[in-house]
Amino acid sequence: MKMTPLAVIVGSLLILATIVFVVVILPFAHTSKTVPSDIFRVRTAEESAGRATYIANGCVYCHSQSVRTIDWDLGAERIAQAGDYVADYPILLGSQRTGPDISQAGGEHPDDWHMAHFINPRYTRTLSLMPPFEFLGPAKLDNLIRYVQSLGFKDADKRMTRQRYWKAEAVKAYEAGPDANVAWLSAHIPQGWRDVPNPYPTSAAGLARGHKIYQDFCLGCHGPVGDGMGPAQQWIYPPPLNFTILKNREISGGILYYQIMNGITGTAMPYFKRDLESEKIWDVGNYVAVYFINDSDANTEPRGIDAAYEP
Amino acid sequence: MTAETKEIPASYATAKAFCLTSAFWMMVATFYGLLGATELIAPDLTANIGGIVFGRVRPTHINLVLFGFVTPGLLGAAFFFIPRLLGTPLYSERLGVFTALAWNAALVALVATLAMGLTQGREYAELIWPIDVAVVLVFALTFFNFTMTVARRQEKILYVSVWYVLAGCILTACTYALGNVIWRPNSGALVGIPDAILLWFYGHNVFGLLLTPLSAGVTYYVIPRATRAPLYSHTLSLLGFWSLIVVYTHIGTHHLLQVPVPTWLKVVAIVDSVAMVIPVMAFLINIWYTAKGKLGEIHADVGAKFVFTGTIMYFFVSIQGSFMALPDVQRVTHFNNWVVAHAHIGVLGFAGMIALGGIYFTIPKMTGRPLFSRFLADFQYWMVLIGMVGFTIVLTIAGLIQGNAWLNGETVYRVLPQIHVYYVTRAGLGLLIFTSALLGFYNIVRSLLPQRGAMP
Ligand code: HEC
Ligand code: HEC
Ligand code: HEM
Repeated sequence: MKMTPLAVIVGSLLILATIVFVVVILPFAHTSKTVPSDIFRVRTAEESAGRATYIANGCVYCHSQSVRTIDWDLGAERIAQAGDYVADYPILLGSQRTGPDISQAGGEHPDDWHMAHFINPRYTRTLSLMPPFEFLGPAKLDNLIRYVQSLGFKDADKRMTRQRYWKAEAVKAYEAGPDANVAWLSAHIPQGWRDVPNPYPTSAAGLARGHKIYQDFCLGCHGPVGDGMGPAQQWIYPPPLNFTILKNREISGGILYYQIMNGITGTAMPYFKRDLESEKIWDVGNYVAVYFINDSDANTEPRGIDAAYEP
Repeated sequence: MTAETKEIPASYATAKAFCLTSAFWMMVATFYGLLGATELIAPDLTANIGGIVFGRVRPTHINLVLFGFVTPGLLGAAFFFIPRLLGTPLYSERLGVFTALAWNAALVALVATLAMGLTQGREYAELIWPIDVAVVLVFALTFFNFTMTVARRQEKILYVSVWYVLAGCILTACTYALGNVIWRPNSGALVGIPDAILLWFYGHNVFGLLLTPLSAGVTYYVIPRATRAPLYSHTLSLLGFWSLIVVYTHIGTHHLLQVPVPTWLKVVAIVDSVAMVIPVMAFLINIWYTAKGKLGEIHADVGAKFVFTGTIMYFFVSIQGSFMALPDVQRVTHFNNWVVAHAHIGVLGFAGMIALGGIYFTIPKMTGRPLFSRFLADFQYWMVLIGMVGFTIVLTIAGLIQGNAWLNGETVYRVLPQIHVYYVTRAGLGLLIFTSALLGFYNIVRSLLPQRGAMP
């Protein structure tokens, strides 16, 4: 084959044109007709403004927006569908998960959690490496939070309705004083859990494990001494619980376990069931009970057969 | 066919300008990389300095590496060897120098706009419309300059390096405009899934139709010249060239295998990703057989050494890439640092190494003097090589930890402490690469300046 300038230039352009037809235009013909998915809705003006802030600050380089069938983390309840993206201009799928996928993050946390988190992610998540975004200022942060809370569209709206309802309830209980607040907190825990003491005996090793979990997951809110005065406190309302008030208020290992596992929707207290397995939850619960409440029911009656590892 | 070149009277002002551009922006680009790596281990170090928040640093790093360091470096060599291969001076050195200046202006605008948060938010297509236009323009000007040189050539036969450079410039001008949706100045995007498909068609072409052809062009020039050997096979040159354009352009959707895009398109992407062994091996066999038994000559020239190492990295990155396009592999490797490792083998180990090699190989021929310091160039070679291989090791380990932990149901947050030590190591290696860029810049500037005392 003789490679004349014409052959090189025109030849490669023709090939490119053909391939553009096959891999860009043909798929465009049918993907551009994608119908909106069941959860889709149009974004509000604030949400769109927040999305612009999201783009301007390169959140997309750390957060994907596309949940896969093999995922377990945030948003795993709903696998991405083509119809979720029909208003995304540009689409923000992302290519790295330095942070979790946030395509379904709307309503996972109340707004105050997000505010504390954006001011400095280490306030709510001690080990985070996400940058602080305080420099954006309150107006942009508000819009950004509106955008994050809209991720998941109608599903997110349902979760937000739930957050708002329970936020009002939690604030009411908090403002009624410690007695009422603790009573309210316990009242929403299934009776079975309330009756269960921590089944495992307190041990130095267990407390050390609990201490580590506390440092890595709880410190920013509940504070180093468990009085609820962590750095996130000033952004959060109702504020993080002061554990010392739980003394003599009928707190069982089961209550602590349940609250840590399930979180308290409406308050900034997140659920930890995705982050922590069973042993870690028992250990951190007992750590809180021993050091901050100063009263642990570990290994008291009623108890089942002792676990095999116990000395 | 041989890479015979003719002595022609020329100032090589354009070639020198592009070499300088590359050396300068390599410092800035690797500095941004180091900054980003540091932020990943100490996120509060730069707290609330908006202009250098991680999400703005990362695209600046990537765009500068691609368009500031690697592409100008490869073009610097091309502006030298195209006239020599064609036996005629460059059509217009003035136009060439102007192109280099415009190129630098676009790069400054790139840094400034991204720092201000002016971005279109699409990976590899972040730049806002005016800069997009400038980029297309400089590629078009470069292409024009080369084409006019070709038209005035004294040498009848077009050597394979010329094919690659011509095709690389014109195809990039086209896919860049297409991928950046240049007809929509405000958003530079389509909507939804079609946007993702177009974006990755273009995104992959940055490697396939820009870095790879230009690197191949430089390699086809440097290796036969350094070994003073005829090219092994004309047929392989042809096969490699045409199959590269046909196959590489099909595979962009392998970035979207886990996203709801049409299945047939994924199948095309996967099949062609595997078929990439054809262009890759056609090129490599051709080069390696040309160099067979002559590694001594390559070792003796630091530029050729860079280039040859680049071809080895090309082998690794491409074989790895073919595997990464398999859905079962991607279950583990997607979304994590494995891909970052791959990207660095490709862009730094392959294209970046060849760009540096092209610069170091051609500068002595432009100036008629040896390099200011062969030692510094060699030192830079080792720093880049160690840095890049080190990156690959630590980021691949980090990626495997992440990918497998996620599959096992662990959350992203839980895995952060486990990859911390690899991030720290990566930042250390980044420091090595950044330092090497400083040395390289010094060396290249001194080599181009009228010389007084030279170093060994
Ligand atoms: C350097 C990477 C990085 C960047 C940039 C980044 N994040 Fe994050 N993000 C993380 C990591 C890591 C986590 C997990 C730990 C945590 O919650 O802080 C996270 C968590 C989050 C969460 C909490 C998800 C949840 O419910 O648990 C939200 C919401 C979030 N990021 C939003 C954003 C937004 C909005 C931006 C841009 C303004 C952004 N992130 C930029 C890394 C990043
Ligand atoms: C983002 C802040 C935040 C983090 C992080 C956090 N908490 Fe909380 N926590 C709260 C808030 C807010 C409340 C509820 C306050 C209220 O309603 O009065 C709460 C309540 C609780 C309760 C409820 C006690 C009861 O009597 O019902 C427990 C137990 C608890 N947290 C334990 C933990 C543990 C253990 C961790 C770490 C694994 C943790 N929290 C992390 C904010 C946080
Ligand atoms: C046969 C050749 C190649 C194949 C089949 C291939 C395949 C792939 C695949 C499948 C991915 C996506 C990974 C994922 O997201 O899970 C990828 C990413 C990437 N590749 Fe390659 N690759 C090849 C060669 C190259 C070369 C030569 C370069 C550089 C010059 C390169 C640079 C990159 C970069 C930078 C990314 C990261 C893209 C991102 O930001 O997500 N690749 N490659």
